[in-house]
Amino acid sequence: MNPPMNAPMNPVPTLDIQGLHITLPGTARPVLDGVDLHVAAGETVALVGESGSGKTLTSRSALNLLPPGAVVDGAVRVSGQDVLTMNADQLRAVRTSTVAMIFQDPRAALNPLRRIGDFLTESVTLTRSMGQADATARATELLQAVGLDDSALHKYPGQVSGGMLQRVMIAAALMGDPVLLLADEPTTALDVTTQAEVIALLAELRERFGTGLLFVTHDLDLAAAISDRVYVMYAGRIVESGPAEVLFAQPRHPYTSALLASTPRLDAPQGRLAAIDGQPPDLRQELHGCPFAARCPLATEICDQQIPEALPAPGLPHHQAACHHTDRLEGSPVDA
Amino acid sequence: MTAVLTRRPGLSKIRTARSPLFLVCFGFVALVTAAALLATWVVPYDPNTVDLGNALAGPTPEHLLGVDAAGRDTLSRLLLGARTSLLGPLGVVVFSTLAGVAVGMTAAWRGGWLDSVLSRSTELVFAFPGMLLAILIISIHGEGLLAPVIALSIAYLPYVSRLTRSLVLAERERPYVSAYQVQGHSALQICLRHILPNIAPVVLAQSTINFGYALMDLASLSFLGLGVPALTPDWGRMVFDGQTAIQHGYPLSAILPCVLIVLTVVAFNVVGERWADRVARRDR
Amino acid sequence: MPENALEAVGLHRTFGSVRAVDDVSFTLPEGGSLGIVGESGSGKTTAARIVVGLERADAGEVRVRGQVRSARSRGRAQRLARAREVQMVFQDPYLSLDPRTSVEAVLRETLRLHFPGTDHDQRVRELLDQVGLGTRAAEARPRQLSGGQRQRVAIARALAVEPAVLVLDEAVAALDVSVQAQILNLLADIREQTSIGYLFITHDLGVVRCVTDDVIVMRKGRIVEAGPTAEVLAAPQHPYTRLLLESVPRPGWDPEAIAAARRAL
Repeated sequence: MNPPMNAPMNPVPTLDIQGLHITLPGTARPVLDGVDLHVAAGETVALVGESGSGKTLTSRSALNLLPPGAVVDGAVRVSGQDVLTMNADQLRAVRTSTVAMIFQDPRAALNPLRRIGDFLTESVTLTRSMGQADATARATELLQAVGLDDSALHKYPGQVSGGMLQRVMIAAALMGDPVLLLADEPTTALDVTTQAEVIALLAELRERFGTGLLFVTHDLDLAAAISDRVYVMYAGRIVESGPAEVLFAQPRHPYTSALLASTPRLDAPQGRLAAIDGQPPDLRQELHGCPFAARCPLATEICDQQIPEALPAPGLPHHQAACHHTDRLEGSPVDA
Repeated sequence: MTAVLTRRPGLSKIRTARSPLFLVCFGFVALVTAAALLATWVVPYDPNTVDLGNALAGPTPEHLLGVDAAGRDTLSRLLLGARTSLLGPLGVVVFSTLAGVAVGMTAAWRGGWLDSVLSRSTELVFAFPGMLLAILIISIHGEGLLAPVIALSIAYLPYVSRLTRSLVLAERERPYVSAYQVQGHSALQICLRHILPNIAPVVLAQSTINFGYALMDLASLSFLGLGVPALTPDWGRMVFDGQTAIQHGYPLSAILPCVLIVLTVVAFNVVGERWADRVARRDR
Repeated sequence: MPENALEAVGLHRTFGSVRAVDDVSFTLPEGGSLGIVGESGSGKTTAARIVVGLERADAGEVRVRGQVRSARSRGRAQRLARAREVQMVFQDPYLSLDPRTSVEAVLRETLRLHFPGTDHDQRVRELLDQVGLGTRAAEARPRQLSGGQRQRVAIARALAVEPAVLVLDEAVAALDVSVQAQILNLLADIREQTSIGYLFITHDLGVVRCVTDDVIVMRKGRIVEAGPTAEVLAAPQHPYTRLLLESVPRPGWDPEAIAAARRAL
């Protein structure tokens, strides 16, 4: 899975988020504060962040699934069309066919009283984009593609394991032939060995169907292992983005490097973990500078006063970091 | 919380989304309660003073709401009647809540055969009409407020115990209950100190709704001439006494207690529903 | 030779036709740290709940400091004695605290139960200090705290009893990476200070490596491999342990090979 370096140059990206600001009622600062993100056709992009960083909200914005009372500014284009300005009919078309979503907990996302077959064919037959017979044929084909046979069509969600259910969710997501797949922590509820299986499946399907994949996760190592490019989010902002391998070998934002250092790993040195002190800033708290400043070992006065802009690393136009002191990470021990 | 409050079909249709309705109802509940508490001091006449010369008179400056067939002041009887009419349901609600919570909690916590026995016996009460039970107990016990209150308490107990049981079953699944068990707290301590406060709002909301129903049932019993002694002012009894007055074309002394009964039941129901909705929203 | 803090011998537990725990034995030395690793359905959580006493074993026994732990406690004295043997920290910090009880009240409640008639103010401050919570957090209700803070409260509550063994059931699994590292370091510090024994239930091999001396790997209710953590992770003997190790994502990771290996097993 080498990063296609020409991907960002693609004229019409599958997903193009520009300057997305979202403010929710009762908060002192925007939940998303100027998010820029794009996914090229057939590209796998990981969005990494901790809980409350805004990663789920960012991915859901591609479907215009926003919490009530959200004030939105910016553009979210799917295949060139802005979903934020669409009317209800256009939006429904996007949600049923162009963009599909896979949820964290497949058991919670499925109606336990309906057969898997009904669940698979439901959305396409309801929108009348396919007849019942065609839909069933397609469902069978996709179940085979995700490694299940058509006996699963007649089973209820309670009769199959969590890993199988997540494959069903993936098959359901592919029913409408989407150009973009949003996967929100699709393996967090699964065992590690099952996780590998689901990831292998997603990678294979992406190649076969040419679907763009936005993979939302809290797991840096998983993101590094599967994606072409990675975005790291902190407190509603993209703090670093770039090709997966470069970003993990040479992080240019102190948050990314601290996160890498605090992950308990099999190949890391024994002993205490390099934990990040403190907690992410509360939404009720206004920010005037870098959101990570309070926890950052490199922070100086400027970090509290001025919001750092995302700038490319020297010699690497696609590796961007939003840090005033990104140069101080260069050649430091984090460059493993 | 997955538990669903028991509501009677007709009354549950009155939605409580609009807040003016809630405020009006809450005000009415407060007013009726105040009337019941202060009745002895504010009544213009002794409720049993018979003024036959004035019988069936309409509203006059002396008798603001008129006089009934026996020549008794309607306003005084309404005010003092509020006392009996609210005290009865209060007794029913207090007793059925305490006993229902105890039964429901024991059944849910102990499980096994005890749960079966307790659940089956409350279902048995469900199957037996509350009014019939009340009439039965009154016929054994004789006149007085106590007998119908006890009878209706037993009839209302299953509503509370079933709700409590389902709430406790859900609550004890939460790890914090296991945590207290591991810490060495006894089952009784965990139930009373932790589970009870967490389920109390829902149970109390149900009890508030029960209050309205109990008021209606007790009024029906007094209308039938059961329970409340003949001379005690009581709304249900007043409706019964007013029948003759209606036949004579002076409906006020019968209609006013009717209206009060209906309004009070609706008001308590709305307040209880609103409370229940609030609780439901807080628990997401 | 110091006696063992915890010993489990031949634990069995079946649910219907499923053998959740099948002949599981392990020992945890005084002040040691033992990890139980496995996937969902491996029986690791059931084994832990048997040790704590939330679940009963069909056969086998649990000994704490050489004393057999009775299956059911009769009476207050025995209940408290059992609580002082083993304490537990649960997975979900959002559900393992009573939403209505403040942090300080949680600790006081436990101290009143176990150490009546002593000065609790001092001990509450000590405990809060030990788990890195300030006095401001003392008055907070659980809903006002972050996940990491709540887990600190749960640890303080367990430590208040001064148990011989602390069972941690996926205690860091629900936390964010940066917070998880804080809690893991805290647990390491506490073990150094108090010589408490840890029984660490987890699915995360990175975490196991970080906090345990010994590890047992469970699959379908049985122990498939046991030994010192460093050895098991460096040179796994059982194919299932190897599969678990290979499944941990890292750069250059080949999920397809793992999927194939899993089907073969």
